[in-house]
Amino acid sequence: MLTYTLRRLAYLIPTLLGITVVTFVIISLAPGNPVELIQSGTMSSAISIEAYNSMLHLYGLDQPIHVRYVVWLKRLLTLDFGNSFLDHRPVMTKIWERLPPTLLLNVASLVLALLLAVPLGLYSAVRQYSVFDKVGGTVLYMLYSLPEFWVALLLIMFLGVKLQLLPFIGMESIGARELGFFGYLGDRILHMVLPVICLTYGSLAFLSRFVRGSTLEVIRQDYIRTARAKGLDDTRVVYRHVFKNTLIPVLTLLGILLPTVISGSVILEYIFSWPGIGALFFEAVLSRDYPTVMGLSFITAVMVLLSTLLSDLLCAWADPRITYE
Amino acid sequence: MRFVGRGFLIGIFCLALSLPLASCGGGGGEQASESRPQIAKETPLQGGVIFRHLESDCKTLNWVLYNTNYEIYVLRHLYDYLLDYDQHLDIVPVLAESFDVSKDGLRITVALKDSLFWHDGEPITSEDVKFTVDKILDPTVPAVNKEGWFSRLDDVEIVDEKTMVFVWKEPYGPSLHALTQLAPIPKHIYGDGDFLKHPANREPVGSGAFKFEEWRTGQRISVVRNDNYYGSPAHLERVVFKIIPDRSVALAALKTGELDEMRVNQIQWDEQTDNADFKRKFNRQRYDIPQYNYFAWNCRSIWFRDARVRRAMTMLFDRKTVNAELYSGHAKIVTGPFYVNSWAYDSSIEPLPFDPNAAKQLLDEAGWTDSDGDGIRDQDGIKFEFDFYVISGNKTAIRFAELLRESCERAGIVVNARPLEGATFFDKMFKGEYDAGVLAWRLDNDPDIFDTFHSTQVPPIGLNHTFYSNPEVDQLLERGRAEVDQNKRRDIYHRAHQLIHDDQPYTFLNSVPEKRPINKRIGNVVISPAGPFDFYPGSIYWFVKEEK
Repeated sequence: MLTYTLRRLAYLIPTLLGITVVTFVIISLAPGNPVELIQSGTMSSAISIEAYNSMLHLYGLDQPIHVRYVVWLKRLLTLDFGNSFLDHRPVMTKIWERLPPTLLLNVASLVLALLLAVPLGLYSAVRQYSVFDKVGGTVLYMLYSLPEFWVALLLIMFLGVKLQLLPFIGMESIGARELGFFGYLGDRILHMVLPVICLTYGSLAFLSRFVRGSTLEVIRQDYIRTARAKGLDDTRVVYRHVFKNTLIPVLTLLGILLPTVISGSVILEYIFSWPGIGALFFEAVLSRDYPTVMGLSFITAVMVLLSTLLSDLLCAWADPRITYE
Repeated sequence: MRFVGRGFLIGIFCLALSLPLASCGGGGGEQASESRPQIAKETPLQGGVIFRHLESDCKTLNWVLYNTNYEIYVLRHLYDYLLDYDQHLDIVPVLAESFDVSKDGLRITVALKDSLFWHDGEPITSEDVKFTVDKILDPTVPAVNKEGWFSRLDDVEIVDEKTMVFVWKEPYGPSLHALTQLAPIPKHIYGDGDFLKHPANREPVGSGAFKFEEWRTGQRISVVRNDNYYGSPAHLERVVFKIIPDRSVALAALKTGELDEMRVNQIQWDEQTDNADFKRKFNRQRYDIPQYNYFAWNCRSIWFRDARVRRAMTMLFDRKTVNAELYSGHAKIVTGPFYVNSWAYDSSIEPLPFDPNAAKQLLDEAGWTDSDGDGIRDQDGIKFEFDFYVISGNKTAIRFAELLRESCERAGIVVNARPLEGATFFDKMFKGEYDAGVLAWRLDNDPDIFDTFHSTQVPPIGLNHTFYSNPEVDQLLERGRAEVDQNKRRDIYHRAHQLIHDDQPYTFLNSVPEKRPINKRIGNVVISPAGPFDFYPGSIYWFVKEEK
């Protein structure tokens, strides 16, 4: 198992290199560069070609692409992502600043989705074709197909503006810090309600259907029939035998879901003025802020690779039938 | 997606990203712009907080480095300029006590007011001014939107602590204007350390009526009243700038009182704020800003190299109907490259009429006839079929393209509208790699248009991206730039206006007012020809009205 893990870790390196090369090339080849974007807005009477070139030099953009990539890579070895072209601050600082809000939102939403989806899915499977299963299924499918931004705006209009029940801008009220710990916490939770609802309902639908499906598969297994034949009551069968085995595919799914926890949701962060990673990434791409784009892509790539590995390992741990020897 | 349409707004000729920015609206009707100050009938409350809207977070609060219009909203509270425009767009001294221009226009002597202090208590001196100019001209400092004004400056001679002389290399028309583009930054703060990464870039020490208080990234920036201000102190205790990127959400915030003002678009103006309930709480301000929209015709392309064709294109496009449809009839049709409300704009020039028949005749004269009978005009075997670039997601620009396509189709011209992502769009437009497209310019208070219309300023050097070339215009623009007498400059620019209008390298479309509801609890809102913020004192003396 250990050798397997180490080998998988070693494979990560060439994969990561490949990902960074592709990302670097794509973002660099996209038309427009940051200097032009800064200047196209503001070029004034005497902006000379020299000034333009000196800015290119300032950002290191006068070098050919492969040289720039090597420079970037060398810096990466010391975990330095360089400085943002937009505000000259270290990319690391910018990411650290934006990470907590995104984590807060996405972890809350993921936990909530799992807490709701697993029982919902189990119940629907156990009572397959019951009214609950049918109605629940329909409602969840409908939810799944509603676009986030639309739901978000509707919720803002009704709960935020009409009824004025919930805040819908940013993470905290002005002056929330003077409210004391519980006041502050309450304020923060209120601000999270709407974004978390919007982030959750889609994955809830998807996760609960997934749990239902895998439960149905488990229920039909011989060992469940055996358990029932032994005369075990329904509750025990479900919790002891079905539930545990249901979780194995869910673990695999976590490998897909974990990276999204840090990558943030561009649309929802935009709508709720939430100062997270999604907003940062979006802005960086549009303004061709190469260092920030590369920094975020690299971190996301590492997260994807690591969580895939993690979910494989977890599966082996949870399911004795799987070994990696 | 909204990024297009934001940003790129400051400085001379800022490219106001195609039309999104041209947030449409009218010049008359209810709450038309007021160029005279309202007399403050209300009693100002001493204190109070107002909430302003930022569509995007600031990148920096270093005055030398800023280059978006959100940053200037905040910076206008923190920094004062050496000279500035007042509400009638006359140049007045602000940090300066007085200024004196020598006969030849080459030397401008400026004396600072006594008892000027930075927010940390240090005195403001001529050393700070010189330091700021040096930073602007420093090749390692990206001060793109300011550099141009000072590149003809020879030196800043320091006479004493409060007096300095700006010495120009050559007579320069916008030399006084340049000093309205100069807000000194403190040398004792920025003198040490890496300028680009300086901690003060996020915690500035300024000279203005408000002091920096707090910046929470992506959420808000707040400033508080400077009680030691050299002018009369502000009424407001605090101004909070809230960062809300989505306009619909911002409008919701406006309605719940979380914002006191915001810029709205045409749909919001016509459909979401035009009701009694809203008007009870808000003054809906609509005012002209120095901006115009235009179609750019690439004068080096086979189709648009002939001025007759370009005139025909303008006459094929019904600007009046477009104004009615897209801007509720209130945008102003423009005929030239200057701000409609400025002294450089010759309002006696009549716009070319919408006249498809005359246009067809011009096309025939220029040799574009339908020789093979397929319904499309051609010349020497080349069809009149071109690509028209617009920024994708910009509904106004796309509508413009559709209307152009329809009217061209009737005249035997094929227009292929091509939506491009923002960065790509500007890359193509400013390298001259296009046939035609729709864009907008944001104008500065000085009318110098050398770099947008002089024939030496074609890509990749300058901004004359239509490759327009007219020797007489060239000569006029050179003279206009070197002339310091405003009356002479007026004549020069009026002539240039006429010639450019005759040549139509652009189809000058319209100048679109900005629309901004402002909560009625705020008093002393003054709107200048440059809008409510871009002059002195701008919004710094806004106040919250005393409850009756």
